[in-house]
Amino acid sequence: MTVTAGVTAAPRRRTRRGAAFRDAGPPVALVVIFGIFAALSPQFRSVDNVQNIVDAAAVLAVVTCGITFVLMMGSIDLSAAGVMGAAALTVSLLVANNRNDNDFGLLGILVAVLLGCAFGCLSGLALVLLKVPSFMATLGVSAAGLGVATLLFAGVQPNISDSMLKGWAIERFLGFSCLTWIAAACVLVGWLVQRYTRLGRYAFAIGGAEEVLTLSGVRVKPYKIAVFALAGAFYGLGGVMVTSQLGAGLVQAGDGYDFSAITAAVVGGTLLTGGRGGVLHSAVGVLLVMVLTNGLVQVGVSPYWQGGVEGLIVVAAVAAAVIPQRRRNQVVK
Amino acid sequence: MRFTARPAAAIMSLSLAAAVLTGCSEQAAGGNDAAAEGACQPSDVRLVGQVRNESNPYEASWLAGGDAYAKSVGLTQERLTYDGDSTKQQEQISQLLAGDTKCLVMNVLPNGDSDTAPIVKGADQAGAYLVTQWNKPADLNPADHATWISHITYNGVESGQQIGDALATAIGGTGGIIALQGILDTAAAKDRFAGLQASLKKNTGVQLLDQQAANFSRAEALTVTKTLLTKHGNHVKGIWAANDDMALGALEALQQQGLAGKVAVVGIDAVPDAVKAVQGGTMTATVSSDGAWQGGIGLAIGYCVATGKLAVKDIAAANRAFFAEQFLITKDNAADFVEPKTNPADFECANVFNRVAGPLT
Repeated sequence: MTVTAGVTAAPRRRTRRGAAFRDAGPPVALVVIFGIFAALSPQFRSVDNVQNIVDAAAVLAVVTCGITFVLMMGSIDLSAAGVMGAAALTVSLLVANNRNDNDFGLLGILVAVLLGCAFGCLSGLALVLLKVPSFMATLGVSAAGLGVATLLFAGVQPNISDSMLKGWAIERFLGFSCLTWIAAACVLVGWLVQRYTRLGRYAFAIGGAEEVLTLSGVRVKPYKIAVFALAGAFYGLGGVMVTSQLGAGLVQAGDGYDFSAITAAVVGGTLLTGGRGGVLHSAVGVLLVMVLTNGLVQVGVSPYWQGGVEGLIVVAAVAAAVIPQRRRNQVVK
Repeated sequence: MRFTARPAAAIMSLSLAAAVLTGCSEQAAGGNDAAAEGACQPSDVRLVGQVRNESNPYEASWLAGGDAYAKSVGLTQERLTYDGDSTKQQEQISQLLAGDTKCLVMNVLPNGDSDTAPIVKGADQAGAYLVTQWNKPADLNPADHATWISHITYNGVESGQQIGDALATAIGGTGGIIALQGILDTAAAKDRFAGLQASLKKNTGVQLLDQQAANFSRAEALTVTKTLLTKHGNHVKGIWAANDDMALGALEALQQQGLAGKVAVVGIDAVPDAVKAVQGGTMTATVSSDGAWQGGIGLAIGYCVATGKLAVKDIAAANRAFFAEQFLITKDNAADFVEPKTNPADFECANVFNRVAGPLT
């Protein structure tokens, strides 16, 4: 109880200036890193490359958007890889493809997103009803998603021929691919949900002080399930977007996205303990990670060094971002 | 608390002791079986194929090849997959070896070099017939074991060089290329890249503009290729990828930049989509290890030994661990590789070693 009291007391001590300073860390890091790479490499600062970075960030931005809500609640979600795989195979078998005669277009995409939503719901139910820790529940759901994807894969890669879905990755509007605009829309929707709906506000509150919320008569369980379902829908859409990029439904469509998304969210200033951060923070985090991956290639860092260098810069960026909060023990424990 | 803990501890130690005893007796029983080599009735042979997963086309064709072989001798193949998880692989193997191992034949793809030793040890103790493929540590040799019949692998340097040469020819012998490497600490990535370097030494007009790791992943290759294309612009005449998944990712990147067909792309593995791309002219070349053959041959070698048609002591030393033949697929011969299929004649006991391309060095 004493810990809870400390956590809830903290926001009251916070001044508005403190809040502004705290949020400034990741954007400043983004600008600094961008500036360094731009100074080192003329190709890096070319318009083409900036478009490239933003396009490459699209899928990760959507997945991170979903995971941010879960992290805000203080839970963790490792189901992205499986859910994306299942959604990727579902959508590639429902739109025009080389395996069957289906051609449902948008409806197929909708089904894939709803499937993601259903998987998220499953994680939420396991957490709330069966009291399985979110770590285990979502890991299990990820495995289930990969299982569904493998069943649908059945030994032959479905390649999509649906012109709309393929066009998402290729066609450009104002210099950016459709996928980028979809990701931007997702971030906007995510931000609106976080800012203006009860779901978003409660997600914050659950992460900040679940007991207080329960004591004041809020039934948190339905909101927890809803948050996981929302996250699942974002992963589903992420799976669809990967399919659009690769032109094929891959079981491995979501490989690595679970941890990349958590990294991006944390780099952007969302706390793993919940109650802090948000969709816009995460969007900055995604850009930071993408600028880093792209920049290291553009300035010609050897691939043998890249992994290590990238890791060090991420740790440094997180450290810089949390300096204003260092006195709050939950950040450094 | 103290009173409840004691019975619990007693039960636990008893069951542990029981487990240890069972383990011992099974190992002893298995050891006796090893003596009776080649005494199996064809119908008693149990065929097991184990690969990482069924979710990639190469390993799916491996299992399909195993099924086809098993059917040809009137048996069925048990399919095992371990999702690239070494622990899971070892568990599956020990469960297999805990059962009736007298006529067990295993065709195994070890997850990594270090996973081979425990598998070999287990099979040796149980007297099960084992063929491994791709991964083994250099100091571990089938010739030192009774029932580990063969280890089959492919010369990555050779395949890396073959596609490097094909790429050089495709771009007319001069110009810049970029290379997409696999997971850098794997032997496959190292060997294939060494092959590219050998090819570059030979084709002096070709210049390696950049090399990046895309970890054998289609999605990573897409992003990396886009980045490299903005970095080097139209100096890029060709893309060398250490596997087909990355080559297909690179193709997608070229398509998104409107460069499809203008830049030559090569890969390795001959996954169906890549073979189709080679046939359609969007990809220049790929190399096939023939997954369907790999799935059949391991079982065939084991079956021949188990039923006494082949004696381990008669197998030439060079055939106990060997590089198998691989095939460069270009537009000319792509049609032959579109549908992975096996030739039953390859699996007859007299022919099981007819694709040996050289001893493993």
